[in-house]
Amino acid sequence: MKTFERWLLALGLALLCAGSAQAQPKDKVVMMLNWFVYGEHAPFFLGKERGYFEQEGIDLQIQEGRGSAATIQAAAAGSVDVGYADVGVMMRAVARGTPVKSIGVLLQQTPAAVISPADRNIKTPQDLIGKTIAITPGDALTPIFPLFLSKVGLKESQFKTVSGDAQTKMNAVVGRQADALLGFVTEQGARMPALVNQPVNILRFSDSGLTLVSLGMVVRNETIKNKAEVLRRYMRAATRSVEEAMKDPDAAIAAMMKAAPQAGQPDAQLVSLKLSQQLYFTKETQGKRPFRAAPATIEESLNVLVTYGGMEASTRGKADDYFTAELLP
Amino acid sequence: MKSLGPALRPILLAVMIVVAWQLATSVFGLPTYLVPEPLKVLKELVNQWPRLLSESAVTTAAALGGFALAVVIGLLLAVLIVYSKTIESYLYPLLVFSQSVPKIAIAPLFVVWFGFGIFPKVVSAFLLAVFPVVVSTVTGLKSVEPEMIDLARSSRAGRLRTFWYVLLPHSLPHIFSGMKVAITLAVVGAVVGEFVGANSGIGYLLQVANGNFDLPLMFAALVVLSTIGVLLFALIELAERLLVPWHASQRQDYTATA
Repeated sequence: MKTFERWLLALGLALLCAGSAQAQPKDKVVMMLNWFVYGEHAPFFLGKERGYFEQEGIDLQIQEGRGSAATIQAAAAGSVDVGYADVGVMMRAVARGTPVKSIGVLLQQTPAAVISPADRNIKTPQDLIGKTIAITPGDALTPIFPLFLSKVGLKESQFKTVSGDAQTKMNAVVGRQADALLGFVTEQGARMPALVNQPVNILRFSDSGLTLVSLGMVVRNETIKNKAEVLRRYMRAATRSVEEAMKDPDAAIAAMMKAAPQAGQPDAQLVSLKLSQQLYFTKETQGKRPFRAAPATIEESLNVLVTYGGMEASTRGKADDYFTAELLP
Repeated sequence: MKSLGPALRPILLAVMIVVAWQLATSVFGLPTYLVPEPLKVLKELVNQWPRLLSESAVTTAAALGGFALAVVIGLLLAVLIVYSKTIESYLYPLLVFSQSVPKIAIAPLFVVWFGFGIFPKVVSAFLLAVFPVVVSTVTGLKSVEPEMIDLARSSRAGRLRTFWYVLLPHSLPHIFSGMKVAITLAVVGAVVGEFVGANSGIGYLLQVANGNFDLPLMFAALVVLSTIGVLLFALIELAERLLVPWHASQRQDYTATA
């Protein structure tokens, strides 16, 4: 009887090993976006549809967000595994003690811009003089607006501002209470033409020589320590998704529209995706794989935040405190 | 405990809660990026006092404006509803319907309709505050005993006089309870208005603090906001005491509270 039991045990163990090798349980990763779904997010939907995440053993779930700040807080609290959020906003949160870090920066140039309908005639920064600009206090880009102004030689007293939330900002421009808004080229810049029935003029912050990282993957420090292997596979799939979407933006948008039909007009979403793809690399990272921000870009972004973005010099820290490339393929 | 005045009791409870909260953050290490330390909130309250005060003035003005509109229009609507069955059948269901519309959803449109000044905040405060005024005034006017009205009529009082000397005084307690709900809602409404589009006010400050992960400032603003609500509530209660001293709810019942 004893030998029989031993045999049984051995058989059971063998079966267990075989089972786990065959159907490896997938790791569930919940990613929270910075905002409602828009074109910029299409690569992740493409990767999900084509099974890139599945092949890495990742069961990816995408959740919509309500602003980078909320997404970062959700990631910090561990309510979600990964936040796709503005890394500039994350830097301010980290400086205030939030235990998160970026494991990949997709938009290495800021999409921040002054966006206006063509009939308001704002083609150069100097055209802003005497106009009204709609802003959202406390959002990702308003704190760096003064830096943009100083780079282009304007003073805040030379124009009027009105402030409101994201929707109000757009409403104000459509309703002619404001001439322009501060927004992301990838979001408002892509969405505004259809709303005002005319082309839009875009003054990019990055064109004025301003360096600031933007959207990327934000993860809680604890997760980096405990689940590095899962995150490595996740970033491999994300990188592949982004690269494939660069080759075939239309397919990416199609995948996104299928998964999230509420996103709205496919044409505007395609514009958003293509605009975001122009911001994937800086001079330093041209030719490299996506998500690999240059340390110099991170440093420069920190400098910008210390000078203009309300970050204390004493809490600034090093680039390593904010970004790690270790989990990237 | 007997010596403790009733006014001190809520303060004592609040102090106890704050101490427990401080212990939770400092001893048990509740992360401060999720919940700020009360001491830091207190410090922010002191440091930012001038700013908090000036932003409160803006919010209070909008709340009071909205409340005043709510009382005037609310009373008017209630009188119309009580005096005419036709108007009631047309208006009342729509009023309930409008109350179920979440104001935060339409607030972004107020900016398009009314611009960026104080008016959209007043409207937002009004919309939240008007409903309780109407409902409680209607209840008040309808609960006046018919004998009272008969008595007034038998002494040849006209409609206006009956309203002024019988209906209105008798429904005042109801009206005031509606107004007390309305005033706190008006504060909330003003902040909702400021959330979607403002250059000043507590709602604006909350938005900025939230975006900057400045939780101490955010909580300090919330404390100030709640204090405004309490003070305005107390003001209405004082008015009630002066105007309806006869009502049962205003009698001091020493045996029950001692």
